[in-house]
Amino acid sequence: MHKIWLIIKREYLTKVRKKTFILSTILFPLLYVLLIFGSTYLANSSGKKLNVAVVDSSGYFDAGRIARENRLDSSAVLYYVTTAPAILRSTLDKTEYDGFVVIPANANWETGLKDLSLETKRTMGLESSYMIQKKLNSIWSEVKNEKLGIDENKKKVMETSLVTISPINIKDKNANSGIASIIGSVAAILIYIILMLYGSQVMMGVMEEKTNRIAEVIISSVKPFQLMLGKIIGIGMVAFTQILIWLSFIMIIYNVSNIGSSSSMNNIIGGVQTVFTSTNIPLLFFFFIFYLMGGFFFYSSLFAAMGSAVNEDMREAQSLSFPLMMPIIFSMLMMGAVIKDPTGPVAFWGSMIPFSSPIIMMIRIPFGVPGTVPWWQLGLSMIILVAGFIFTTWFAGKIYRTGILMYGKKPSWKEMIRWAFRKN
Amino acid sequence: MPILELKHLKKHFSSQKAVDDISLSVDRGQIFGLLGPNGAGKTTLIRMITGIFYPDEGEIIFDGKKFDPINDVSQIGYMPEERGLYKKMKIGEQTMYLAQLKGLSKADALSKIKEWFVKFEMETWWNKKVEDLSKGMSQKLQFVTTILHNPKLVILDEPFSGLDPVNSNLIKDEIFNLAQNGTTIIFSTHRMEQVEEICDQIVLVNKGKKILDGTVKQVKQDFKENLYSIGAENILTADPFAPFEIMSMKKGQQVVRIREGKSPNEVLQYLLSNNITVYSFNEILPTLNDIFIRLVEGTPSTRQFQSI
Repeated sequence: MHKIWLIIKREYLTKVRKKTFILSTILFPLLYVLLIFGSTYLANSSGKKLNVAVVDSSGYFDAGRIARENRLDSSAVLYYVTTAPAILRSTLDKTEYDGFVVIPANANWETGLKDLSLETKRTMGLESSYMIQKKLNSIWSEVKNEKLGIDENKKKVMETSLVTISPINIKDKNANSGIASIIGSVAAILIYIILMLYGSQVMMGVMEEKTNRIAEVIISSVKPFQLMLGKIIGIGMVAFTQILIWLSFIMIIYNVSNIGSSSSMNNIIGGVQTVFTSTNIPLLFFFFIFYLMGGFFFYSSLFAAMGSAVNEDMREAQSLSFPLMMPIIFSMLMMGAVIKDPTGPVAFWGSMIPFSSPIIMMIRIPFGVPGTVPWWQLGLSMIILVAGFIFTTWFAGKIYRTGILMYGKKPSWKEMIRWAFRKN
Repeated sequence: MPILELKHLKKHFSSQKAVDDISLSVDRGQIFGLLGPNGAGKTTLIRMITGIFYPDEGEIIFDGKKFDPINDVSQIGYMPEERGLYKKMKIGEQTMYLAQLKGLSKADALSKIKEWFVKFEMETWWNKKVEDLSKGMSQKLQFVTTILHNPKLVILDEPFSGLDPVNSNLIKDEIFNLAQNGTTIIFSTHRMEQVEEICDQIVLVNKGKKILDGTVKQVKQDFKENLYSIGAENILTADPFAPFEIMSMKKGQQVVRIREGKSPNEVLQYLLSNNITVYSFNEILPTLNDIFIRLVEGTPSTRQFQSI
């Protein structure tokens, strides 16, 4: 036991003190936040405001209406012009307008106004022409409302009488599927990242020991299984540390929001607060750690076994780790289906099979226990995962023991299976 | 009482009998040479002695008791042929780690390491990384990590490969030192001149079987061909009545083989009675290299795969 502890300690300390660990721990949440805000920002700021001339022959789109609409919606600017369409078309390049729309003289408010064309200097994106369409439509409805005699009050009545439906689970009144799917996917993404990142770290670590030729030196002092287990636990604790740091970032945001802060942040923080009040945080936290560590131990011993089979060649490592990454990636692909129907057969079987349960079960749990996930399913899934990682650790240990001392040609899958079931 | 006894040890892999019924015994304080061509089964044999492999059959007696890998490995120091260290780890930390894995307490490890680092002039290495060392330097470090915990049995697989003569001698002296202080050393190599220089006893292994066992002196006696070199004033001529036959000329010395049933004294008498002035008269013993080649020759140099 003492020796395993030494191995864990070495593994943990060397990994945690590495620059890459410190950088990834700090940079990952920053990058993630940047990515979310950045993409929203870019989406909003891209595409310049269009200047579009409106040539009206119908009399509906007068200067007053257009000016009012420009005040209400600034996503594009409309100009009321009286130039003839033919002249405008030929001189468009010299004007400051990006394009123009001609409202035909035969436009009738009862029969409608369809299929106008926006004639432009350059080809426009869908988004920009959509803005023009929206503004024209809004003027057009105003015209129709006026003709029908619908004033502001009647308009309000029409708009407020829409039906909204919100689902309430009778077993779990607090469950909120919107928030649940956010928590579920964040948890799933975190587990996915940890499995991929730290699974391959275990593999690289084993490969390093083998190719540096230190493996035989060490296993003349400890059993190969101890070396493998020490490495896995050590790296597992590194992953755990990183997750704790990331979770405490979230906690800090939560606490900051309690103190109260600038109004611009309030929307985001308000959202986070709803999450915290509407879900059972300690329960969620417990299962998150359980499935994270369970999934890590389930996969990492297999990654260790693959690492032990590799020689110097990195390409071998890739071809051996690919079959292990497949089910992890596949679980992520199932995410959409599980969020759509968290009690369906895909969700059920996905959360039972230990290859996918760490990710799939963590998507389901925020939808409510025992409302969406009955206790028996949760218990069974946990038992299968624990049994699964005991099995993979045993199985991997057998391959590892032989592989770590084997130099030369890359073993075939058949050979590795034979190592696993050989006695001694 | 021998420190190590192997009794009918066997280890078969799927495609070959790596060790096929080997028995041997190593005395305390001895420098024991384990010789054999590549792929003879030396490494497999050593891995069984160090507890890395379990034998399929047979028994290992270590220090008078049945070998117990978990506890006895702290009494063994093993420097494998395929050896290395963590490249990115600091040397001091790494040595501490390896010493503690061998069961040394932190304080013991520290004082032992300091002692050895001073002895081998490695004090300035503590905060360096292994990747900063030359091959010879890391070999020295590897040797220190092998013997740091005062093992009763030290197993060195090709310890001199990659070392220059100065560092070779340093380690050679240390091997003699250890043996004098009662440590047993098993020395595996195929460099015969080193074996002749260092080892007390040797075992030659080929194709998983032991084909020779004895002290270096005894083995040489067993394989001698009654050859003598004679430095004489005149060149000897062939004489069917002489107690020897002439084999060849070598650097002004004549090599003769004494006939069956005759003794060296009879040769000298013959020479003297024939009025030949003798400057030198030496027995030619075969080198271990000759013996090795003679025994191993004729068998395929690489092991063939066989079905079991």
